[in-house]
Amino acid sequence: MQGLTELLLLPLVGAVTIGVFKSVVPQRFAGIWASVLLVASFALAVLADIHLAGLPAGHREISGTLFNWVTGFGPKIGWNVYLDPLSGIWLLVITGVGALIHIYSNGYMHDDPDRGRFFGYLNFFIFSMLLLVLAGNLLILLIGWGLVGLASYLLIGFWYHRPSAVRAAKKAFVMNTVGDVGILIGLALLYVRFHTVTYTGLFASFAHATPNTAFFEWTAVLLFIGAMAKSAQFPLSGWLVDAMEGPTPVSALIHAATMVTAGVYLMARLYPLLRLAPDVRYAVAAIGAFTAIYAASSAFFQQDIKKVLAYSTLSQLGYMFLALGVGAYTAGVFHFMTHAFFKACLFLAAGSVIHALGGEQDLNQMGGLYKKMPWTMASFLAATLAISGIPPFSGYYSKEAILGQTFNSGHDLLWAVGVLTAGMTSFYMFRLFFLTFFGKPRNQKIYDHAHEAPAVMTIPVVILGILAVVGGFFGAWLNGWLAPVFRQYPGALHAALEHGPVYGTVLAVGLAVVAFLVAYWLYISKNTPARAGIGQWPGRWMFAAYGLDTGWRYVTILPIQVVGSWFRDQLERGILASVVGVANGIWLWAEDLRPVQSGYVRRYGLSIMVGLGVVLAYCLTRV
Amino acid sequence: MLWMVLLGIPLVGAFFVLSVKDSAAKTTAAVVAALEVLAFVAFLVGPKPTLDLNWISTWGIRFHLSADGLALFLLGLTAVMTLVAILASKREYGRTYFFWILFMEFASMGLFGAVDLFLFYVFWEVVLIPVFFLLTGWSGVKGRVAALKWLIMNLFGSLFMLIGVVAVAVIYQENTGHFSFEISHLTHLAIAPAAQPWIFGCFALAFAIKAPLWPFHGWMPDAYGESPAPVTALVAGVLSKFGVFGFLRVMLPIFAPEMARYETGLLIWAAAGLVYGAFMAVRQKDMKMVTAYASLSHLSMIALGIFSLTAAGILGATFLMVAHGLMVGGLFLILGVVEEKVGHRQFSGLMGLNQGAPRLATYFMFFALAVLGLPGLPGFAGEYMIIQGLVVHEVVFAVIAGVIMVLAAWYMLRLFQGIMQGRPDAPAVADLSRGQVAWLIPVALLVVLIGVWPAGITSHAVPSLFHAVHFVAEQGGIN
Repeated sequence: MQGLTELLLLPLVGAVTIGVFKSVVPQRFAGIWASVLLVASFALAVLADIHLAGLPAGHREISGTLFNWVTGFGPKIGWNVYLDPLSGIWLLVITGVGALIHIYSNGYMHDDPDRGRFFGYLNFFIFSMLLLVLAGNLLILLIGWGLVGLASYLLIGFWYHRPSAVRAAKKAFVMNTVGDVGILIGLALLYVRFHTVTYTGLFASFAHATPNTAFFEWTAVLLFIGAMAKSAQFPLSGWLVDAMEGPTPVSALIHAATMVTAGVYLMARLYPLLRLAPDVRYAVAAIGAFTAIYAASSAFFQQDIKKVLAYSTLSQLGYMFLALGVGAYTAGVFHFMTHAFFKACLFLAAGSVIHALGGEQDLNQMGGLYKKMPWTMASFLAATLAISGIPPFSGYYSKEAILGQTFNSGHDLLWAVGVLTAGMTSFYMFRLFFLTFFGKPRNQKIYDHAHEAPAVMTIPVVILGILAVVGGFFGAWLNGWLAPVFRQYPGALHAALEHGPVYGTVLAVGLAVVAFLVAYWLYISKNTPARAGIGQWPGRWMFAAYGLDTGWRYVTILPIQVVGSWFRDQLERGILASVVGVANGIWLWAEDLRPVQSGYVRRYGLSIMVGLGVVLAYCLTRV
Repeated sequence: MLWMVLLGIPLVGAFFVLSVKDSAAKTTAAVVAALEVLAFVAFLVGPKPTLDLNWISTWGIRFHLSADGLALFLLGLTAVMTLVAILASKREYGRTYFFWILFMEFASMGLFGAVDLFLFYVFWEVVLIPVFFLLTGWSGVKGRVAALKWLIMNLFGSLFMLIGVVAVAVIYQENTGHFSFEISHLTHLAIAPAAQPWIFGCFALAFAIKAPLWPFHGWMPDAYGESPAPVTALVAGVLSKFGVFGFLRVMLPIFAPEMARYETGLLIWAAAGLVYGAFMAVRQKDMKMVTAYASLSHLSMIALGIFSLTAAGILGATFLMVAHGLMVGGLFLILGVVEEKVGHRQFSGLMGLNQGAPRLATYFMFFALAVLGLPGLPGFAGEYMIIQGLVVHEVVFAVIAGVIMVLAAWYMLRLFQGIMQGRPDAPAVADLSRGQVAWLIPVALLVVLIGVWPAGITSHAVPSLFHAVHFVAEQGGIN
């Protein structure tokens, strides 16, 4: 299958070999070995895509079955593998950005005594993610989906002696399980009706189905819940911010560039289903837009460099869902790609900063670092301009395409939210940039020890910085590359990239520029400290992400605990007492029966006669 | 002949173990159990003969055993888990302990193989004995209480089952004029409508107590808590399957119309246990109790699959029985190791044992993930098939099962993290020994194998279950 099996197995081999040999072989080899395998995977991914490009436009797909997953007289599902231009894009980003982050991690984790385990997990993540996008049916996708959740859990809780990391890992896993269950029930419903869960089989049946029935609305909702959980859309978003407890390369790879975009992949893949469920499609757009503005405003007052980036990830994922919901599928994928570049760059650059400051993540301790870390600063700036949507940086093109198409499709309100969010993004990102790299050093001691990261870290950051600058020019190519995918089945009429009205673009860019100026005025001219505003309303609210976690706690965790305690302390006692009840019952019964065994034969004889009589009478009455 | 070997090895082996010295008992028992695994492998790869002997001909009772698709992998589960449990047991337990373990294996093999209702009942009773003695002789302070509870509750259940067995046989005799206890003969019985719920209830009660299913689990906390880890692993891993197995082996063929009629009630009953077990597991402070109530919840999940009366649900239930046995058995053995290291079973807050015991942490996490239903591992495969069965006409139960899967993630991670993680200053405990890893690896590999390739089991489960499902279909209980 054009090297797909090898591509899939390479990182798995890496994870297993590192797991088995990490206590025998020196730790530094783990990082090198894992990185070499990733580069090889990237090469295989490129070859696979080249092969795909060589096929005629309408037939760009590679598929096969490895072996049966389940057979018997129930469902029949196989390990189907499927590659088409859509998964091909994800393949390139996963292995390409993944390889850069693997290389970077060799520097970042250099002093960690347990880094063999880290690289084993990292390779395992890549395997799971590849399984997710190469799956040819929803069930295998779900297996990959669950395994990336596990990889994320393992890496968030990598420093398992920290209680906060342990809690964050559990939260991420449990919230993601909500999504897994959504997909599970959704695919089960689809199987009952269509007797298959392969993409090709399902989509072929969808082409003749009647839209807008309750069946399709419900299946689409269930699958969307899966996408929401993995892509941290409101209200399943809290885990992603806590996930920043993991090492920074993990935040870059899993919690920004790849895993969290799995929901975007799923929804783009399922566009024929969204056609049949227009209400759900609108919900995708609305929740996306809401998450975008909700997360952007939550980022305003964050004190931790990684938390700002985490909220910005949420916000950008919201843009992608907005794109999918309004039918701008190519724009959504485009934004996924540019986001992978600039967000990975931002996180890795932030990692370099944290590394240079000896693990400090608090913005109140930073400032003035541009002198010490010029390369990191330059890359960070490029990525900040990209995410803020300033032309000609990459984010401008993809965001413009999303906003333009939202407008063209008549979603005025969602468009306005998107434009406003663009301005807000620019504000909080430049706030972050200025607080980190400019102004006077706020902690002289930490500042004095700061240094530029080693080349093994800087080079990947710079490469990603360059991609963040030029990534926007891939748009036309992407348009052509994805066109056959979205033409294959009905449901994606306006999938291609479109331009909105000029005044819309001017408005969005203008807002971003104004926000930049405001950030400059506040944090450079007036030298406002990072913690300004979090003490009072509305800063306190926004800092706490509007109390979402507390809300979840009161709606789910506490009721379950209260009911569970009631079961444990009240109901269970009754059930345990039932054993004693049975015992007593038997005892009493035995007491009652004891006089029967009197020892007198004549009494036994009488009993037998009476018994026989009763049986006889019974039989006679029945005849 | 192969059946003679399969039943003979543990039975003869058990008495042989009694004759050796205490110090050699563990090794001898392990060899016997290993031979039994080999005998099972011969069964697996070769033809699967049945053993059918005349036993009590006046009443048509036969000594009839068969390794059909339903029983085959449960026999394998019994063989594998017995071997692992013996390897995990302490040498000091002495020969009587190993005698009872092997005797339990014999009884379990017989029970899973029996296709004669009377023979099934005999093994059902026989298996009570070894557990009773294992609980009295080798358990914690409350071991005798636990043993008594086990015996009283299960005898109580068996009593009703005996009534049921006799009733079914008498009805068969009324229908046809002669006696037979052959389960395949007992289908299509004409049971008087007024008698149906009572006879049905007799069996259901016995099966529910043995499993246990909520709210008949009164014996469970003490028995699971007090017995040594290998015995808990066997009781929770293998013996707990008897009850749900009974629903498949006995109820489905004989009472298919009744099951279809009471379906909604049965589903509600199973769902109640599912929810109850999970909520209890979330609130336990004793590590063994978390797993015990998780097991209660999962047995209800299996029951839910059976009660869905769909091909997918029943297939999922048979698969999950085997998978659950391996997973929960492995987890209880791990917990036994942990208990031995820290000296108690309570966990509160974060204990942080991971420090210095990475292998223990790895295997612990693996089994916890398997139990919570991680996609790619067998718990997920079984739960998928059950949910696939439930969505056919009872979507609401599929949703309940889904919610409980989320809770399972919560209580299992709470258990694992609570014991292993979250403290930098935890006292270092010794890691798993090579010997312990040696018996954990095969279980873990089997779990991975059937998780990645459930078809290996489900493709065998066709012949016998297919009849059952089709019979239900005739009754209009399936689509």
